[in-house]
Amino acid sequence: MIEANGLTKRYGAFRALDKVSFEVHRGEVVGFLGPNGAGKSTTMRILTCFISATGGTARVHGYDVFDDPLEVRKKIGYLPQRAPLYGEMSVWEYLSFVADMRGLETSTFKKRMKNIVEVCGLATSLGKDIRDLSHGYRQRVGLAQALVHDPPILILDEPTSDLDPNEKAEVIKYIQEIGKERTILLSTHNLSEVEQACARAIIVSKGRIVADGPLEEIRAKSGRVRYVVQVHEKRVFEGGPAKKAPTAEEVQAALEKLPGVTSVLELPTDDRAHSFQLAGAQDGDIRAEIFQLIVSKGWMLLEMRREAQKLEDVFKALTKNDERRDRGRPIVEDDEDEAEAAAEDEDEDEDESDEDESDEDASDEDEDEDESDEDDKKKKG
Amino acid sequence: MGTTFIIAKREFRSNFDSTLAYVVICLGLILLGFVFFEFGGGFWQQDRASLVQIFAQAPRGLSFLIIPVVTMRLLAEEKRSGTLEMLITLPVKDHEVILGKFLGAWGLVLLLVASTLLYPLMMFFKPWDLGPLDMGPVYSGYLGLLLYSAAAVSIGLLISALAESQTVAFFITFVVLFALHMVGSVADKMPTPWLREAISFISFDTRLVPFAKGMINTRDIVYFASIAVGCLMAAFRALERRKWA
Repeated sequence: MIEANGLTKRYGAFRALDKVSFEVHRGEVVGFLGPNGAGKSTTMRILTCFISATGGTARVHGYDVFDDPLEVRKKIGYLPQRAPLYGEMSVWEYLSFVADMRGLETSTFKKRMKNIVEVCGLATSLGKDIRDLSHGYRQRVGLAQALVHDPPILILDEPTSDLDPNEKAEVIKYIQEIGKERTILLSTHNLSEVEQACARAIIVSKGRIVADGPLEEIRAKSGRVRYVVQVHEKRVFEGGPAKKAPTAEEVQAALEKLPGVTSVLELPTDDRAHSFQLAGAQDGDIRAEIFQLIVSKGWMLLEMRREAQKLEDVFKALTKNDERRDRGRPIVEDDEDEAEAAAEDEDEDEDESDEDESDEDASDEDEDEDESDEDDKKKKG
Repeated sequence: MGTTFIIAKREFRSNFDSTLAYVVICLGLILLGFVFFEFGGGFWQQDRASLVQIFAQAPRGLSFLIIPVVTMRLLAEEKRSGTLEMLITLPVKDHEVILGKFLGAWGLVLLLVASTLLYPLMMFFKPWDLGPLDMGPVYSGYLGLLLYSAAAVSIGLLISALAESQTVAFFITFVVLFALHMVGSVADKMPTPWLREAISFISFDTRLVPFAKGMINTRDIVYFASIAVGCLMAAFRALERRKWA
């Protein structure tokens, strides 16, 4: 339904998009993720033919965005960032204006409106002026406006930004509702929303795609799984081989010997228990081995759990490391030549000092600090 | 063509959603009344059944007061608030947006021009009949106003398409239209004949005088029409610029 092929957008020396390629298939709800200034809106504007790409091609519903912008727009329902609407019009006036512009018959429009009013929860505000509506309601009108012509494709640019948590939840609910029979490309930087509404995510950072795939796969790609194990500090399993409670060092040493464990880290706890965090490979599950070990030692197991990495962590990891410019390569950290990577960094920095500056403005300070920390680590390593 | 008119209709009606339009229209009509009857001796001193005063003064009133206000929002405000993105991503061509905006604003100006028809109607037909009115100059005068307002609105539209905010658009439009009106009065003071001719060539006032007198020159028609067409095309380009900039 949506195919982007090597989309590039330059603003002077600033590269807003750099060879972005992806596909969205019929019936998919795809989350388009990235930090501020990553190129989400730019991509969406190109897909809706509001701006033109400097390079690359894109097709929507089979129509080229450069050759058939009108056909593309007919197939798309688009909600731009912050839902810009004509404040002086009433909700009904505005929606019927959009319907007129889209060439809908009045009778079809009225029929569609019944459904839309219900889905978007606009029944009580149809007669109100848009400028008097709260932001949440404006967003709903924006959504309604995108649905008026029953488009097969929806492109929603941060439909939940600036909303309070209740409104957010409602908009996400609408999107889930709508998404049952439509193709939706949804941009956001709120990850929990993506987890709720989308089966697949595309993560962009500094104009490039850093991850694209089903959420499970993206989570998996970061490669690590955490196990948390807690063993009693004072008691042992009665009738077991152990006569006295193990020390933290004993437990740690034993856990480290398990196959597939890459690191064991002691977690702070009260004086009742020893708690450890184990990092293991994504594809394996060593809970059975852990249990076996603890039983054979006769220790008292208080807690054991396995945690796949959260999407949030993946997102942070992916979008922070982007100075390495590793798009197109596997997301798992490669053991590549550090010197080569460093050289690459320098090149890029020279090219795009503008870009870095503007991005620093956009991202918050914490992130910047983290980034520089990571830089240091790399240089030392 | 349909979308053009839908945009024009929305644009035209949006003027009446704020009190500003009503204030401007009322103020404009009151001012015109004052100027018509009192300014420079006024209507009664002329001892002639003539509407020359309307055709001489109305364009100035439109240029200095109404057209900058009407045209400033057209694109500058839409760009600022982001509604332009919403509008353009509807299935509509860029030139339809420009044309629709132009027609909407021109429509409002023409409504105002039409409201001055009250003068000839009330004074020379009902309820007062102050004498036989020579209809020729009236027709040509209104034709002049029609052409002039198209040119002035398209200038405002172009500036609105280029300006970043509607305030800036307002002031630039005001200055440009003011200059185009006033430039005629300095023409006579110019030392060289070619400069004099060049200045009176671009002056709105010198172009409007023949219409008020009942003369319709092809040159004047072409002058106004080409300003309108030229500015609309430039505005179209300015709107297209967003794609690449």
